[in-house]
Amino acid sequence: MTKEDLQVALSRITKEPTYSVYTAVSNILDRLDPKESEMPALKLVILRNFTVDPLIPVIKGEIASAGFYPVIHLGGYDTIAQEVFNSQSAQYMAQPDLVVISQWLEVLAPALTTRFPSLSSLQVNDEIDRVLTTISQFITVLREHTKVPIVVNNFLLPCHSAFGILDVQSEQYQTHAILRLNLELLRCMKKFRDVFLIDYMSLIAKIGSEQGVDERYWQIGRAPIGRNALIPLGQEYGKFVRALYGKARKCLVLDCDNVLWGGILGEEGLNNIKLGTAFPGSGYQSFQREILNLHDRGVILALCSKNNEPDVLEVLQNHPDMLLREKNFSTWQINWDDKVSNLMRIAQELNIGLDSIVFVDDSQFECDLVRERLPQVAVLQLSSDPSTFSASLNAKAYFETLVFSDEDKKRNQMYRDQSIRNNLNASAGSIEEYLTSLEMVAQVGIVNDASIARVAQLTQKTNQFNLTTRRYSEGDIRIMQSSGADIFYLKLRDRVSDMGLVGVAIVKYSGQQAEIDTFLLSCRVLGRRIEEAFLAHILYYVKARRNCRSVLGCYCATKKNQQVTDFYGRMGFRLATKTELKYDWELVLEEMNFLTSACIKVNTVEPKDGK
Amino acid sequence: MKIGEDKLKQVLADVFGINVKTIDDTTSVDTVVEWDSLRHLNLVLALEQQFNIVLSGEQTVQILSYPLIKIVLEEHGVDFICAK
Repeated sequence: MTKEDLQVALSRITKEPTYSVYTAVSNILDRLDPKESEMPALKLVILRNFTVDPLIPVIKGEIASAGFYPVIHLGGYDTIAQEVFNSQSAQYMAQPDLVVISQWLEVLAPALTTRFPSLSSLQVNDEIDRVLTTISQFITVLREHTKVPIVVNNFLLPCHSAFGILDVQSEQYQTHAILRLNLELLRCMKKFRDVFLIDYMSLIAKIGSEQGVDERYWQIGRAPIGRNALIPLGQEYGKFVRALYGKARKCLVLDCDNVLWGGILGEEGLNNIKLGTAFPGSGYQSFQREILNLHDRGVILALCSKNNEPDVLEVLQNHPDMLLREKNFSTWQINWDDKVSNLMRIAQELNIGLDSIVFVDDSQFECDLVRERLPQVAVLQLSSDPSTFSASLNAKAYFETLVFSDEDKKRNQMYRDQSIRNNLNASAGSIEEYLTSLEMVAQVGIVNDASIARVAQLTQKTNQFNLTTRRYSEGDIRIMQSSGADIFYLKLRDRVSDMGLVGVAIVKYSGQQAEIDTFLLSCRVLGRRIEEAFLAHILYYVKARRNCRSVLGCYCATKKNQQVTDFYGRMGFRLATKTELKYDWELVLEEMNFLTSACIKVNTVEPKDGK
Repeated sequence: MKIGEDKLKQVLADVFGINVKTIDDTTSVDTVVEWDSLRHLNLVLALEQQFNIVLSGEQTVQILSYPLIKIVLEEHGVDFICAK
């Protein structure tokens, strides 16, 4: 089996995700040397109390589609407690990337699911408490050995509730007891870090319990997941892998005619396009509402349309039924050039990779062109029926995330401000004049609990200005902190806006030598020389506070970070060793000239003594 | 609806990880090393999904060879084009 065989099979998943195809991918993975796959391994530990085995090919296929070679340890049937209590010694628990605990309520608390009418309300509450205590105990013990993310499922509502139509009439009966269990489970899990719920309840409800749960296989082999639920459930686990370790898409680029409204604006005019509260205009409006929701969740919006720019802007400004307005879009390319060039311009202007973009269009021609010429771009081709638009956008799960930070809420505004700055740039004489005109104020400090989520997020997402591209979870960062490393943040504001936390540096110490493990800047602040000021402050701190004599820095080459190949060199470091993929740099601190830029004012937040 | 046998053969090839060209009427649990109990469950799930049918408990344990699979699918109304 070769890498090519795997690619062919993975492309079958994209085209027709049937169970048969997932098993084919799984078989190829089993026979392919992990090294030959050229994909980084992703180690998944699955602890379960029922037969999840049919789900494994789908999970493996999803992990491989996300760009990782899946290495799965599947715990024995109904041996979660044993595996958890042995987890310190067990080899597979040494360094997993993700732990999944998968439990079926019928095994965990059979009385709640199959003999509910025999229970008193006191017994019901006892059963619920027992389930919660058991799961909490598993997590507590696991957390003693591992900080990696853990995914725990909630529980299904019964297909036929214990008291029939009476059941939902009382909080004491089965339906509400399970709803209460699920709510309490969430509250219990919130006490731990990096423990996430996978929503079996809603997922099976969407498929339908009659379709999603298979009594035959439950009886035959304790495998309750029905054939229609296997793929959606495996894909749901895939979303967690993508959100935690993969690359999330950042930007939604939209066509206009027959996407945001019905009809051709250039032919029919502002007053005749289909958009409003009545069908079919209502379909377009409801799609716009869904796009606004993504906007509010931090997805960057842009337009790419073959139209006259003033016509489209007039609709954005003046059409009474538009929900999306000019201010919602970070940028646009409205002209008669081909969409491939326009998408490249959008990526360049926003300073994001093409692989961060989702392109939405109704035209087969445009979609095929983009698919062929820019394969990194995700393409969503809409049908001609606007009432299907929202569902097809949501079904793709392009923008799944497990973090929602203040930065996400403000992202569109920030990218829009960036476009304003680019215009300033065009008018300012020299780069120094421009940078000075921005009136930048930076703040460098030591990361604390409030900022740790954003710091982990930046290590996950930053590709261009990232010297080593090491991806860390919140747990990883805490471990480094507690073992003596300094985690620095950089915040930046200027006269246009407050960009928030945009830089991270991690420095580890060994005697009087410091090593810069991570140095990165968000792409939205590149080209401002802020990196020079940031590094200079860190070096000063390392010398003055940590009494270090020398500093090591390294550059690990990726496809995206060529721009920082020589960064340490420019900052006065000496090249110690060099291979094709890794450059090691060293700086003796006594020899250092503190380079600082006159364009930036930097405030340092001093850590408290003893920390 | 008439269906080519190649569609069925592809399911077996996918589930057992074997070459589709090697599948014929002699293919059975006795001739395919990869045909273990776990993959048998995968086979049942894949067939049910691919052909949109639900096998009875009895049928799931009957389908131990390629000809038997065809017979059971035909009982569920799957109509194979006769190969020459």
